[in-house]
Amino acid sequence: MRIVIGLLNGMLAGATPVLLAALGGAFTFYAGVFNIAMEGMLLVGAFCAALGSFFSGSWMIGVLCAVAGALLLSLLFILFAIALKTDEFVTGIALNLFASGATTYLLRQLFGVRGAFTDAGIQAVPRVEIPLVSQIPLAGEVLSGQNLIVYAAALAALGCAWLIFRTPFGLRLRAAGYNAASLESSGVRPARVRVAALLICGVLCGLGGAFLSLGYVRLFAEGMSAGRGWIALAAVILVNGNPWGVALIALLFGLADGMGLFAQGLGVPAQFTGMLPYIATLIALFVYARRKRRARLGQSV
Amino acid sequence: MAQKLFSALAGIGIALGMGAVILVIEGRQPFEVYGALAALSLGDADKLAITLKNAVPLILTGLSASLAFASGPVNLGQPGQFLMGALAATLVGISVDLPAPLMVPLLIAAALAGGAMWAGVAALLRHAFNMSEFIVTLMLNSVAELFTAWLITIDGPLAEAGALSPRSPAIASGGRLGDIGEFNISIVVMALAALAIWYVFHRTRAGYEWRIAGQNTLFARLGGCPVDRNFFIVMLLSGALAGLAGGLLVMSGTYRLIRGIGANYAWDGVMIAVVANSALAATVLYGMFFAALQTGALGMELLTAVPSEFIQVLQAVIVLVSVASRGYLSALLDRLALRRLHRHSAIARQ
Repeated sequence: MRIVIGLLNGMLAGATPVLLAALGGAFTFYAGVFNIAMEGMLLVGAFCAALGSFFSGSWMIGVLCAVAGALLLSLLFILFAIALKTDEFVTGIALNLFASGATTYLLRQLFGVRGAFTDAGIQAVPRVEIPLVSQIPLAGEVLSGQNLIVYAAALAALGCAWLIFRTPFGLRLRAAGYNAASLESSGVRPARVRVAALLICGVLCGLGGAFLSLGYVRLFAEGMSAGRGWIALAAVILVNGNPWGVALIALLFGLADGMGLFAQGLGVPAQFTGMLPYIATLIALFVYARRKRRARLGQSV
Repeated sequence: MAQKLFSALAGIGIALGMGAVILVIEGRQPFEVYGALAALSLGDADKLAITLKNAVPLILTGLSASLAFASGPVNLGQPGQFLMGALAATLVGISVDLPAPLMVPLLIAAALAGGAMWAGVAALLRHAFNMSEFIVTLMLNSVAELFTAWLITIDGPLAEAGALSPRSPAIASGGRLGDIGEFNISIVVMALAALAIWYVFHRTRAGYEWRIAGQNTLFARLGGCPVDRNFFIVMLLSGALAGLAGGLLVMSGTYRLIRGIGANYAWDGVMIAVVANSALAATVLYGMFFAALQTGALGMELLTAVPSEFIQVLQAVIVLVSVASRGYLSALLDRLALRRLHRHSAIARQ
């Protein structure tokens, strides 16, 4: 039973940053923006969270800084891809590299260290004990006592599903990707919807980044997003942006992450357990491709 | 052509200007910093030789990305293919000991095969199951990174006995590339590879088919090109180029697999391909330019105390600004040309 609880907690911790980034990616996916900058947004978010928390001594300021940092990247994306009409793929690649270069440079400039920065002055985002729920045997150990951002991510998934499918904004968002011309003819500028989607994506990725550096650890390391933004992108593409699907896939990746930690306890080298989330992504992609092919065959019969 | 050159130079100029603004904000002398950068990368034959040697992995990974992007496949797996090439060259290099004339071609072949194999995995998955190579290659990057890291961890299967840091044993001396005068032989290998790939891409029927498919896959298919087979070949070639970059780095620099080998080279290659708009000749030029920046950066740090990481930021700014200004300038120049045309025709009518 201990093992299962440990696995579930590991799953939630692994899923949270991927879920937040993927929800952000879902907005841009629906809006018809080919946004591959989530990786960079997570990284900048993680850096700014550590920076803000260190200088202010408050995790709240840290989280706000993370959101602000990721939003800055969103604004750059908007400037280049939407205002100057640079290719979205190129913008995304360049912004990811910019994020990795800028965080490394600032790490060196501001803290005088290379590799990783950790300090007792960095305040972590607290865990939340939910009264009553925490009393439930076993289930209480998973449902209560998680990091605040884990709950925020769960709420964000609900909120995103509501926003995308149940509001006028969501309708416009989906129209911007589905048929921008008809949206334009009904008097809404698709570019404006895309800007909104990118800004929301920045906020969500900023939260995800804050979880990386202030969630279970209190440090920033170079390249600490470690491909989570790419996994989030894969999740978005796999389920065509559907927030429920995104949440399910993020949990699967989290499970692979959690299983990795578990297998490490059994003596499997950390490098192999570390591969699990990426291999899980490949398997998910495989299943998706098979399903799509079968659907196509079904149609032609 | 002149317009292309103008937009490229304008992009670099604007980016350097923005870099200068950052430097001024930090209270430094931009001219001094850029001067040090140029002097320490191109100042004399010695430094030029180092710059060219550093350009080898950048140009090869850049060509790998350019070849793929210009022919259709979105191969973003250069980091993984680079590592597998380096691994293959190392594996053969430590298990075989032959005289140099045999050893060098053998290791180069191993590096090519290593990179091609890793790209081939992605190509196979795309071919058999229609899995997007874009995501597969990205995921395989992480797998390759973790796999090679595991091989050379202390007490790992490929670790050097008694080593204090993660590294493999050194390759046999026959496989090590020396210098001709000031210049490393890996530069010659890179130049030959670049010429070969340029020739195939621009002067053969296969290359023509790839270019057509890169412009419009459907058109290529309707025109009778074996699009699927070409996709496969391009992926393998692209992977082989990235693998060669890894192999040459082992043969000319580290002589072994070490942790974090070429950590940034491969992504820089993607960036170079992007800024060169996937044109092969431009890729070589931008590769040298970026190598000059990176080589000068270390010396610049010593002379002016600007951290060498500044160059990473500057590179990304150069890419963004050049690509954006390329699009913007060409639209602007087109509009100006159009206006001139209108004016001429207005005069003609009078």
